[in-house]
Amino acid sequence: MHTELANFAARLREEIHAAGPWENFNQWALELFALQYKYNAAYRKICDARSVTPQGVERWNQIPSVPTAVFKELELTSLASHERTAVFHSSGTTAQKPSRHFHGAESLALYETSLWNWFQENLGDGGDMIFLTPNAAAAPHSSLVHMFETVRKKTGLPPASFTGKIGGDGAWEIDFPATVDKLVDATESDEPLTLLGTAFSFVHLLDHLIEKNLSFELPQGSRVMETGGYKNRSRVMPKEELYNLIGDRLGIPRGAIVCEYGMSELSSQAYDSEIETSESGGWRYVLHFPPWARVQIISPETGREVADGETGIIRIFDLANVFSVAAIQTEDLGIRHGDGFELIGRATAAEARGCSLMTA
Amino acid sequence: MNLPNFFLADLPPEATLTPGMIKSACDTLRRNRERHLAQRSTESIIKTLCEIAFEWRQPENPFRRFALERGPVETGFSRPVLERGLDGFFNQFTPDAFQMLLEQEFGHADRLDRFVVHGNEEMSRRHAIVMAPELLGHIAAGNIPNPTLMSMVLGLLTRSAQFVKCASGASFLPRLFAHSIYHADPKLGSCLEIAEWQRGRQELESALFAELDCLTVTGGDEALAAVRARVPAKVRFIGYGHRVSFGFVTREALRQEDVSKVISNAADDIIAWDQNGCLSPHVIYVEERGAVESDKFAELLAVELGKREIAEPRGKIPVETAADIASRRAIYETIVAHRADARIWQSAGSTAWTVVFEHDTRFQSSCLNRFIYVKPVPDAATVLQGVDGIRGKVSTVGIAVPPEKSRELALQFARWGATRICPLGQMQNPPLTWRHDGRPALGDLVTWTDFEL
Repeated sequence: MHTELANFAARLREEIHAAGPWENFNQWALELFALQYKYNAAYRKICDARSVTPQGVERWNQIPSVPTAVFKELELTSLASHERTAVFHSSGTTAQKPSRHFHGAESLALYETSLWNWFQENLGDGGDMIFLTPNAAAAPHSSLVHMFETVRKKTGLPPASFTGKIGGDGAWEIDFPATVDKLVDATESDEPLTLLGTAFSFVHLLDHLIEKNLSFELPQGSRVMETGGYKNRSRVMPKEELYNLIGDRLGIPRGAIVCEYGMSELSSQAYDSEIETSESGGWRYVLHFPPWARVQIISPETGREVADGETGIIRIFDLANVFSVAAIQTEDLGIRHGDGFELIGRATAAEARGCSLMTA
Repeated sequence: MNLPNFFLADLPPEATLTPGMIKSACDTLRRNRERHLAQRSTESIIKTLCEIAFEWRQPENPFRRFALERGPVETGFSRPVLERGLDGFFNQFTPDAFQMLLEQEFGHADRLDRFVVHGNEEMSRRHAIVMAPELLGHIAAGNIPNPTLMSMVLGLLTRSAQFVKCASGASFLPRLFAHSIYHADPKLGSCLEIAEWQRGRQELESALFAELDCLTVTGGDEALAAVRARVPAKVRFIGYGHRVSFGFVTREALRQEDVSKVISNAADDIIAWDQNGCLSPHVIYVEERGAVESDKFAELLAVELGKREIAEPRGKIPVETAADIASRRAIYETIVAHRADARIWQSAGSTAWTVVFEHDTRFQSSCLNRFIYVKPVPDAATVLQGVDGIRGKVSTVGIAVPPEKSRELALQFARWGATRICPLGQMQNPPLTWRHDGRPALGDLVTWTDFEL
């Protein structure tokens, strides 16, 4: 374990706990870049190829970013094999190799601090919750499930809060009876309930309710957190339609639905708990990362940040990614709105087949 | 230029199409064909088509000028790319070329007009005549315009009335071409309909399918299957699905003095319609141990694409497509950082052109818009192994090879399943007699009647 990285992680955790001011974000970023350049061999090669080293960088947005696709091919980590206690996989189609994001004890602790802190800011009103995903035992490589498990432990909710399961074909399914029971309980007890899951899990649940002719008026204060991303596991439903159906079948209004944006390659997540209205008067869902992660929307033509209101590729600098790479370029498109962004969708229609990098 | 409201596609965007309008348009097309096209001689149609094509090549022609002025905004292609593409298209329409086409397809150029007994058929005393469908429909692809324009030409040649349903946002050039036909010959123009409507308006499609005798569909395999399932059994269905193409440069072609010509030809194929057609190469395989090393070839190609960008720039593309290119570039930059044998060259400050050199011989589908893979191979057999995954899906192989070796090489590719082998540089210029996906150019459209004496 590299002591310098461990110390940095420990200091960062304290800063997050303290909810301290983040005006010196740039300093944190530069310090982390120097450490990652030193200790992450695969990342160093990438920086050298671009002729960018810690000596030559003054602003965090000059730090070289790595595309998420590369997590499929390279071990982008400073953790030695024996230090890796967990690995998160991206949840693409089974035909392709998944991204692998390695974690050890320290990095998981930081991951949990980051996720819990920002989760509380955005969704932390207490109350009962159900997670429409399989539990951690069934899905050990899902960062989303790990996040939900962390939230469950912190809030003291029982293991049965997970009402998802793995189906025969390995796909995620919902235990409908268990879920419906919870919906009935919440309605009868008048205790608010928050449902958390992927967009496709909500589509499955709503389809089931429609089929069984069920609908609920969940108590006021109930909410939904959906993470977007259909990944070919259900039919794609436009956001408006999904939110209308949630309102219809669960009685949860638009203002109580929160979208979460995260991925296995990151340690921090973004939420759109602040709903804004656009100039035309419609809803605008602007996602925000916590103050220890910065987002840039990059023009694919120029490689520079776009102006406010323009569309580009989402690039994130996540301080909490201490033991891997902090500067990540996604394949997603977004519109810049101040220091947040609106998610449009995935950029790549057909994924390039990753090429073997194992020989140097 | 003010185009009159003659076609459905000329209607203002607010005007909503209805199934009734589609049926009515089809009824009109059949009537007009009966009155103005059915009895007309093939010779006179060829004469008119050649005149129209000739006009389109004149710099002062108002349709050509309008196409080049508005084209960039309407299609995204730059003016020079449009010019190159349209000139290449209209250059092929000569009376001789039409004659060759008819003889190739029907054995005799008069067979559309009268019973003909020809050559060896004298012995069997059987005469034959061919007839094309009365009402022919096209579901056109939107990536490049010339396949749609060609469908219209071939349909007129065979005296079918036609309903062309353009892809969303891609009706500008077909519409303009149709207007130029109407302008030259209103009776001919009256046998054409051009329409465009949003995805998902299935009731319009169903109304159209019910009226047709024959339907051609160009698009992705899933779209084709979806349409086929909804077309009534009585309608003849001709589908052109997903196809890709690639190039192969032999080591003999890489003699130092010939290299710049080969490079220029490769660049021609990449910039034609910004590489967006099914005839455009995704990959160029380069045989090793030539006078020019394969990575040097890739570098020279990059320099050439950089030069071409100045005079014939890549057009405007949507942000999603640009992001695709940027994402691939980012991945390859990382690969290049880790492998000494991979290289990438790219335009600076834009996504205008990209060349990736890598040793993996497996075919790689490109995001197009001037993004080309160059892959070294020891021989042609290795190319065939590399493209095994796309067998049956290949349209054109563009080859750079000296004449004495070309026949043997072409036979290898033909046996493997390529349906067209042509010189590198000509991939986007198939002749009028081109057999689309290996099918007869007109044969699939027509029906023969045999008259036995």
